[in-house]
Amino acid sequence: MSTKEQRERIELLQGTLDLLILRTLVRGPVHGHAIAKAIEFNSDDVLQVEQGSLYPALHRLIKRKWISVEEGTSENNRRAKFYKLTAEGRRQLTVETSKWDKMAGAIARILRPAEQEGE
Amino acid sequence: MTKRERMMKDLEQDIREHIETETQDNIARGMSQEDARYAALRKFGNVTRVKEETREVWTFVWLEQLLQDFRYALRVLRKKPGFALTAVLILALGIAANIIVFGVLQAMVLRPLDVPRADRLMTLARTDQTYPIFAYPEVREVRDQNTVFSAVAAFTMGDFGMEANGATRPVWGYEVGGQYFEVVGIKPFLGRLLNRSDDAHPGASDAAVLSWVAWKNDFGADPNVVGTKIRIDKQPYTVVGVTPEGFNGTEKIMEAEIFVPIANEQSLEGVNWLDSWNEKGRVWSIVRIKDGVTPPQVQADLNAIASRITRQYPKEEENLGFKLTRPGLVGDFIGGPVRGFLVGVMVLAGIVLLAACANLGSLFAARTADRAREIAIRIAIGSSRWRILRQVLVEAIVISIFGGACACVLAWIALTGLANWHLPTKFPMRFFVLPQPSLILMAFLISVLAGIAFGLMPLRQIFKADPNDVIKGGGSQSAAGRRWALRDVLLATQIALCCVTVTAAFVSLRGLSKSLTMDLGFNPKNVVRTEFDLNQASYTPDAADHLQRQMLEKVSALPGVEAAGYADITPLSMEQTTLAVFPQESSDFRHSQAAFHAYHYKVSPGYLAASGTALLAGRDVSFTDGPKTPLVAIVNQQFVRELFHSEHAVGRYFKNDQGVSVQVVGIMGDGKHFTLSEDQEPAAFFPISQDGSNNTTLVVRTHRDTGDVVTAIRDIIRDLDRGIPILESGTWSSQLGLSVFPSQVATVALGVFGAFGLLLSIAGTFGLASYTVSKRLRELSIRVALGAQAKQILETALGRMLVLLASGAVVGLVLGVAASRLLSAIVFQASARDPFVLAAVVFTMLLTGLVSVAGPVRRVLHVDPATLLREQ
Repeated sequence: MSTKEQRERIELLQGTLDLLILRTLVRGPVHGHAIAKAIEFNSDDVLQVEQGSLYPALHRLIKRKWISVEEGTSENNRRAKFYKLTAEGRRQLTVETSKWDKMAGAIARILRPAEQEGE
Repeated sequence: MTKRERMMKDLEQDIREHIETETQDNIARGMSQEDARYAALRKFGNVTRVKEETREVWTFVWLEQLLQDFRYALRVLRKKPGFALTAVLILALGIAANIIVFGVLQAMVLRPLDVPRADRLMTLARTDQTYPIFAYPEVREVRDQNTVFSAVAAFTMGDFGMEANGATRPVWGYEVGGQYFEVVGIKPFLGRLLNRSDDAHPGASDAAVLSWVAWKNDFGADPNVVGTKIRIDKQPYTVVGVTPEGFNGTEKIMEAEIFVPIANEQSLEGVNWLDSWNEKGRVWSIVRIKDGVTPPQVQADLNAIASRITRQYPKEEENLGFKLTRPGLVGDFIGGPVRGFLVGVMVLAGIVLLAACANLGSLFAARTADRAREIAIRIAIGSSRWRILRQVLVEAIVISIFGGACACVLAWIALTGLANWHLPTKFPMRFFVLPQPSLILMAFLISVLAGIAFGLMPLRQIFKADPNDVIKGGGSQSAAGRRWALRDVLLATQIALCCVTVTAAFVSLRGLSKSLTMDLGFNPKNVVRTEFDLNQASYTPDAADHLQRQMLEKVSALPGVEAAGYADITPLSMEQTTLAVFPQESSDFRHSQAAFHAYHYKVSPGYLAASGTALLAGRDVSFTDGPKTPLVAIVNQQFVRELFHSEHAVGRYFKNDQGVSVQVVGIMGDGKHFTLSEDQEPAAFFPISQDGSNNTTLVVRTHRDTGDVVTAIRDIIRDLDRGIPILESGTWSSQLGLSVFPSQVATVALGVFGAFGLLLSIAGTFGLASYTVSKRLRELSIRVALGAQAKQILETALGRMLVLLASGAVVGLVLGVAASRLLSAIVFQASARDPFVLAAVVFTMLLTGLVSVAGPVRRVLHVDPATLLREQ
């Protein structure tokens, strides 16, 4: 079913999207569409979020009180929902980032000897 | 608007905004309006799924789905009200039976007496008999010598004439030892309770304690009742206190109204037995075990006391032994059978409920099979099997909770009725089985369990369902009715169980009808029986004798009276005493050396004729048999058989336990004395003029209206002395109610179970038969089209059902015959070998089978192949 294009993209790990959203919001309140664009832009288009899946993730974060939502006006002068990091979300971002670093480091250490053997 | 609804509205706005922005971006990149919007939508993904996933963030999905299932279940049930009603009715009966039995079990057996630290309270019993009764000195020795009890009390139960507020009324009460309320450990509601000094010596105190009920009913709940002067059996007493509500003495089914010191026993009863070692049938005893003392220590101490007593009184005490039993139900005497009976009925109720579940389960399975196509489609379009199973389960539980609710109402009515019902006896017996709120919880638990039990029956069908097969096969499972399935076995089991209950019910019914027409040895029809106690009016033996004779003369002179007499005790009055009988040549008069024990009555001349007891040989007693003439007796045939081993006994002698010779002057017919289910027992009538009694029963045979005679006798007694309280007066037949009571209870209980079992079997058989028929209708139509005869079609369609019915019934009948032996202890001459019973059972089962398969049979015979084949 999957096309070639889809195969080249990297599927997001469970929970990674949450981390990316939190990271994106550090720079200030953003609306939904802008978050998707920011993630794609900052990852050089490697991480292509199916844009819709952003919204359940956002609502999950709202429910956990890591982000809040407020009314605002978008760049092209339309009313939109702006998502904003809460103090708790900021703390959570630190925790999640260090967790991610540890995991990435561990996976890298596991994979490196395998690469050497393979060569 | 709930938070979820608000968030969902926000989301929709957000999604519109998102897609709009993306479209604008695409247009900016040079796409056409249409392409831009399409690309934006594609990039966004499935909008509905996004909404669903977001909704799940904000809900307990399972709860919402559960609600959906409930609504669906209600809709399904409304659509098929017949099925729902049957299922609810069956469950309501099944659950109600369990709750009622459990309620009685809880009240009678499981719940301890309502006193502090009830676990330390025990009844003292003898090791050699289950009836826990003693001579007073025996209990006194235990009280004074033991090291393991904090308190020991003797008590007796009796009826007293209580004069208060200018009226005399018979009341039931306890004469209690001074430590009784220490044993019980309750606090008085008003005033004080009896203590050791009240019981120090005869006449030490005139204190009486009222029960809460008596205070409420007889003293109008007077808060200043303490200090009120009353008279008990004409003796002056002073009310010193009232027991708390809910305390009715320490026997569960006997409601005591007054408590007086046992030391005053002689002044109340007219005889003194406080120092008699020989009167073993005088007092009961209840004890409180000290904290920290173990049962083995108690038993060791009791054994030591018993052996000390036996050494000290070798003549009076041959094989004395003490033990403790649970209090509340006359030790093990009633407690044993009651516990056994209730546990038995509980098991039976459980089985019936299981059968009901099995039945509903197979109906459910059949319905699931009908819905096979729907289920297959739902699985094919991605519903989880678990979700489908849950739906079926919710449907089952909804039904069973409805059933449970109806059962609660039924159980409430039944238990309240039982609690307010007075047994047909002069004893103040009540069943304190008022329903407890905890029973509702119990009903709820049973309902849910039952629901799960039968809801799980279609489990296999749902998990095995293969959507491809079902949809391809057009939904006709032609295998149904060919293979032996679990539900066939269940149905056979159920028919067997039903057959067991039906057999038991018939056996018990037959026993009851026999016991109503059986030869009692006397004839209670057209007899008026009046019991009064002259002790309660403080008569001396001589005065009592004089009054009784006067009364007999006056009553005999009444118009329409055929015969009249009086006796200290009448047969089947539950007050029987026995006498040790020794052969004339005996010289050892210890009780263990007795030839046998015979029921012992003191009767006046005329009693034999009045009671309808047959005098077969010799003469009636006479007032010329006096205290100074040699002892004589009329004995029954069984007595003669056991002692003389011949038929000629008139003029021969036997000895009583005092070693005094008694001459047999008459022989009477055998009869029933203590229970209706007993074998022939020896009995002896002694002239009341040789050894009087103050507590007598007047027996009058009349051909007039018994009601008139009852009133006439009451008037005679009132004219002779207004202070005599009449304990019982009415027709003998109605007063005998208590004797047939156990068989009546057994018959009603078994009858209800039997009828319920039948109902279940009919529902189950009908369900399975119509299921089988409808599953195979297509095949049957083809057979008819090919020319099969009605007989062959029936055989194909329902042959299996008949085999099931027959084998279930045979197994059930065999089991029922075996089980009914247990019944013979309760019901007179209960036997399943009775051809009448066997025939009735077989007939009932045949009828059941016919009724339950009639519908399906008609359907099979009216199969019209053309219509049916056109439809499919």
